[in-house]
Amino acid sequence: MAKTDISLDEFQKFREFFYRKTGIQFDDNKRYFVDKRLLERIEATGTESFRHYFTMLRFEASGEELQKLTNLMTVNETYFFREDYQFRCLVDSMLPAVCARKKPGARIRIWSIPSSSGEEPYSIAIYLLEHWPEIANWDVELISSDIDTDILKRARLGCYSPRSVQHVKPALLDRYFVRQKNGDYQISDELRDSVEFTRVNLAEMTDTRSYRNFDIIFCRNLLIYFDDLSRRKAAEVFYDALNAGGFVCLGHSESMSRITSLFSVKKYPEAIVYQKPEQP
Amino acid sequence: MSQHPKHILVVDDAATVRMYHRQILQQAGFAVDEAVNGVEALEKALQTPYDLYLVDINMPKLDGYGFLQDLRSREIVQGPAIMISTEAEAQDKARAFAAGANLYMVKPIKPADLLKYCALLLGVEASL
Amino acid sequence: MGFVKSQPADPSKGEDRKVQRDLAGLTTALCSADPKSRRWAARDLAHFPAAVDALLTQLARETDREVREAIFITLAQFDNSQAVNGLIHCLRSEDAALRNSAIDALKLMPAAVAPMMAQLLRDPSADVRILAINVLESLRHPEVEAWLIGVIAQDTHVNVCATAVDLLTEVGTKTAVQALLALKSRFAEEPFMHFAIDVALQRIQGE
Repeated sequence: MAKTDISLDEFQKFREFFYRKTGIQFDDNKRYFVDKRLLERIEATGTESFRHYFTMLRFEASGEELQKLTNLMTVNETYFFREDYQFRCLVDSMLPAVCARKKPGARIRIWSIPSSSGEEPYSIAIYLLEHWPEIANWDVELISSDIDTDILKRARLGCYSPRSVQHVKPALLDRYFVRQKNGDYQISDELRDSVEFTRVNLAEMTDTRSYRNFDIIFCRNLLIYFDDLSRRKAAEVFYDALNAGGFVCLGHSESMSRITSLFSVKKYPEAIVYQKPEQP
Repeated sequence: MSQHPKHILVVDDAATVRMYHRQILQQAGFAVDEAVNGVEALEKALQTPYDLYLVDINMPKLDGYGFLQDLRSREIVQGPAIMISTEAEAQDKARAFAAGANLYMVKPIKPADLLKYCALLLGVEASL
Repeated sequence: MGFVKSQPADPSKGEDRKVQRDLAGLTTALCSADPKSRRWAARDLAHFPAAVDALLTQLARETDREVREAIFITLAQFDNSQAVNGLIHCLRSEDAALRNSAIDALKLMPAAVAPMMAQLLRDPSADVRILAINVLESLRHPEVEAWLIGVIAQDTHVNVCATAVDLLTEVGTKTAVQALLALKSRFAEEPFMHFAIDVALQRIQGE
């Protein structure tokens, strides 16, 4: 018999489990949102009851179903200037802290992973050019990586549909994009040249070991889809990739609390970020 | 209770313990937030000026001692803390106070005791 | 100024590249005076399951938490009985942080932990029994509920039983109901136990 509803106890049981695993807390008013998606997955997996679905969810070796479910429960589209309060934090808080420790002439290195189709690294570049006058005084390396070579190609090309850029201010479109014949907007050559795109599998030590001496890492809405071990290993990669005092930014609904205590929690007016302890 | 209820952060990795403490404290008129370990507790404590922390010792990632030590090292306004343990070992008590706890309790905790000590540290009246 | 491209990686920078990254070289580096070298050695040893002993030996004397974290993550990937036994040994440590890190690692090794579980749940130390139940949370094993029911039926320590009840709120089925009711009588004087057992019963019966 098809499962038609989720009881209050089932919702609460699921809510506690999901909160423990991800740190994401669903209020009572999210009942409909959660129930709908649970029912969707119960149907899709053919498990027929919440009990069986939940057991599968908890114990599946691959963690694939939890990943799919997490995908459904979180908003995960990519777009320009997503969660831009972190870029404000970059400019107003993190970069000043980084620069205060840097020798003059030293580079500032920023890593954005995953690059996806490039919205995030290009957003960082534009934001810095628009809001960080100090960029005139520092060399900045902006490196962006992804595991998927096809998406890296798209990112390097930097072409976006009008719909993709609908929330980008016209002044910025003018300044940093070039309108194509087919109506798409392409990032200007100069800006595209500012970002280095690389292929990286975070789980492969051979891929990641040369990533060092970064000052800031943006890893937003990626780790939440990893299993526990992979998340911890990814955090290890970031830890070793950073200079002392360097920062990691996760997605706004993500937290290091489910991953590791190696990073120091840092509260800035704009955001909570995670800092590799400074050299004593 | 005054118009501005005291805000308490309950930190414990066990869901039922958090629920239990939450229920007792909410019924007495306090506002309650939760955290499952010391890292999450720090994130919340840095964003909200809690009036009191109820902190379990044994938690994954960052335990109660680690959380309190870190919190006390920050230059922010912060409230008193009750450290909660499963044991009443003298060295645990000493360690709790050294980390910055104001009181030490052993679980399981009776509702009246919890309220008594929270009220004491908060300087308010509170009853079941 | 402004955006620049990266320079090729300087091979002489970073950790001691003169050390051979084979088992012998890494095991030596694991004892280096420099914590960064130790940490890199611990990470690279993930490719060498034979290094379990060396890692456990270093763990016993390692004070740097960055290095400890790397050792734990490497051990967690081995998922063999030698590593598990070493980590179980950590559960008895005076060092709370070591105990907690060991649980976190054990949770990542369900296959290797399962054979040890029944014994751990009967350990003379209540602390160890509690920690064993914490590890159970992630264990994929048909016996998990039976073990928990066994605990609440026999364990005399209130907090061990409380930890078992907490997990039963998530994994418990109707099979556990009788034992939960019996536990409620046994701890008639404990309001917390009543509360927790009621939550478990509610979750089990409310489906």
